[in-house]
Amino acid sequence: MKNDNIHHAEAAAAFLQDREQARWHDSAIWWVRQKRDMQAKQLPEWEQLRALAQQIKAHTLSRLDDYLLQFQANAEKNGVTVHWAADADEHNRIVQGILAAEGVKKLVKSKSMLTEECGLNPYLEQHGIEVIDTDLGERIVQLRQEPPSHIVMPAIHLKKEQISELFHRELGTEAGNNDPTYLTHAARANLREHFLTADAGLTGVNFAIAETGGVVVCTNEGNADLGTALPPIHIASMGLEKIIPRLEHLGVFTRLLARSAIGSPITTYTSHFHRARPGGQMHIVIVDNGRSDILGNDDFYQSLRCIRCGACMNTCPVYRRSTGHSYSYIIPGPIGSTLGPSRDIKKHGSMAFACTTCGSCSNVCPVKINLHEQLVLQRKRAFDAGTLKPAKKMGLLAMRFLTQHPSLMDSGGKVMRKVVPIVPESLTRHSAWSRPGRALPEMPEQSFKEMWQARQKDKKA
Amino acid sequence: MSSQANILARLRQNRPQGPALPDIDAVPFITFDDKFDAFRTLVRNLGGDAVQLADGDSVLSVVQQRWPQHGRLVDLTVAGHEESPSPHAWHDVDVAIVPGELAVAESAAVWVSHADNQWRSIYFLTQKLVLVVPRDAIVDTMRDAYRRIAIREQGFGGFISGSSRTADIEQSLVMGAHGAMAALVIFV
Ligand code: SF4
Repeated sequence: MKNDNIHHAEAAAAFLQDREQARWHDSAIWWVRQKRDMQAKQLPEWEQLRALAQQIKAHTLSRLDDYLLQFQANAEKNGVTVHWAADADEHNRIVQGILAAEGVKKLVKSKSMLTEECGLNPYLEQHGIEVIDTDLGERIVQLRQEPPSHIVMPAIHLKKEQISELFHRELGTEAGNNDPTYLTHAARANLREHFLTADAGLTGVNFAIAETGGVVVCTNEGNADLGTALPPIHIASMGLEKIIPRLEHLGVFTRLLARSAIGSPITTYTSHFHRARPGGQMHIVIVDNGRSDILGNDDFYQSLRCIRCGACMNTCPVYRRSTGHSYSYIIPGPIGSTLGPSRDIKKHGSMAFACTTCGSCSNVCPVKINLHEQLVLQRKRAFDAGTLKPAKKMGLLAMRFLTQHPSLMDSGGKVMRKVVPIVPESLTRHSAWSRPGRALPEMPEQSFKEMWQARQKDKKA
Repeated sequence: MSSQANILARLRQNRPQGPALPDIDAVPFITFDDKFDAFRTLVRNLGGDAVQLADGDSVLSVVQQRWPQHGRLVDLTVAGHEESPSPHAWHDVDVAIVPGELAVAESAAVWVSHADNQWRSIYFLTQKLVLVVPRDAIVDTMRDAYRRIAIREQGFGGFISGSSRTADIEQSLVMGAHGAMAALVIFV
């Protein structure tokens, strides 16, 4: 779980203290974005594929209740038990109830942002159940007792030296051996033991198919598969927006997901679960936790189309330079910055400003969510809710005053272009322009308006 | 009211407008002149390999040549193959030879859903996975694949593309995260 009261700008400033680490983080994630581009370019139909995905999801949201009922009926026909949870607390109680009824001591979990959102791990631990996160990145952050910093690459904020030290302490690997292959295989051996001795497995859900009543889970590691093939109980937790109408629609979504997420044509494993293994049980928990409210909000309901690929964070210039830990909501980056404020604007107001409004997120999103437009609208809500720090609020108020008084804006700009170049350094020392990595821009001779007018005149001439 | 009734009532009340379902076949998707070649090129980048079985050769001999020193081998492609008393008892399998129904050129994925296989754990516990696919069962894209697969009685089916992998430590790609360390697809 995340600490309360993370303020994006402050947390990001702290992260940027380590310049080398910050640069690495930025370029490593940018490389994932480039791999995504290479995949997208290989498919002439890429843009049409995005449009199909958008339409399928938009259609589904317009009759979500029908599709959920159809899904439930078909899942029950397959012998699966379906549960409904209004909020995080009810989800946690349902899961704990299933586990307690069977005397489960150890649960192996594959990646699920929903259980992070619900705070499932601490809840189960309080009830005496050992929870093992099995995705390598998730296991690393679990051992470090911190939240994931990215929804697809949970440990992207860490250097291999830190992981080596952690594994040396927790798993007994050689001190100072930082080789990623060595470390990965050490974790593999350790987690195999957990898979073989677990009493139950829990997975997230990438897609839930109304037509067949089954769920699809995509991983590269194979942890969701081992966690559900070995123990007799499989619990799948899903947000209610994960529904797609038909099996054939996977022919659109499986083409987009991994290409957008990590720049691979597909994940190693795309597993379809429709029944319990012989002698076992399968449960699906459908979770609302605020989603049905978002559905009713004209400005923000489109965010429920999200398939959690993470492409919007990989492309985001602010995310790459601030890490997921600088965002107060459990999901960081552009999509988190609309979902978090939708949920609680007082708590997550600062996230709406972790954005340059460049629009790159909306351009890469495989389901074409209007992310940057939503962030602008969330800013307004953050302002109205009074969540802004005083300096930010004053700045915005001054800007609003100026934009409403064009002649003041013009003359103010004129003065600024003359004065700024001769301002002594001692005066800017404590302003935003003295921070590392920033410099006062060169002042142009003319304002944009003057240049525009001159250009228009030239054109006419 | 139950949570189910509450949630459904709110969803019904909050329904946004939405388009009709699109016809996903209306858009032409990529096709490959040589599907096998596209598959092989791709799977080699994903920790796997693909071969076409030569006349007179056998799957078993291809496997023996590739891994002469292999450990426990289980072959699910032969009739009356060995069964395991529990899913856990496959834990020491070194090479598993399993039937693959369908291969996809664009993603190097193979669909596995074997009615005759009680414990699917073998696909993921084995160190080396050999998928045996009929030569003509290869399609261009995932859309074509979903047209041809069926969700079977036993309830499990999956696409497997290459070997298990992760890049969770500093984005360095490592093969063999939890599942198979190596994958070989043999077209017969
Ligand atoms: S908002 Fe779009 S780009 Fe971002 S995670 Fe969701 S689907 Fe991916």
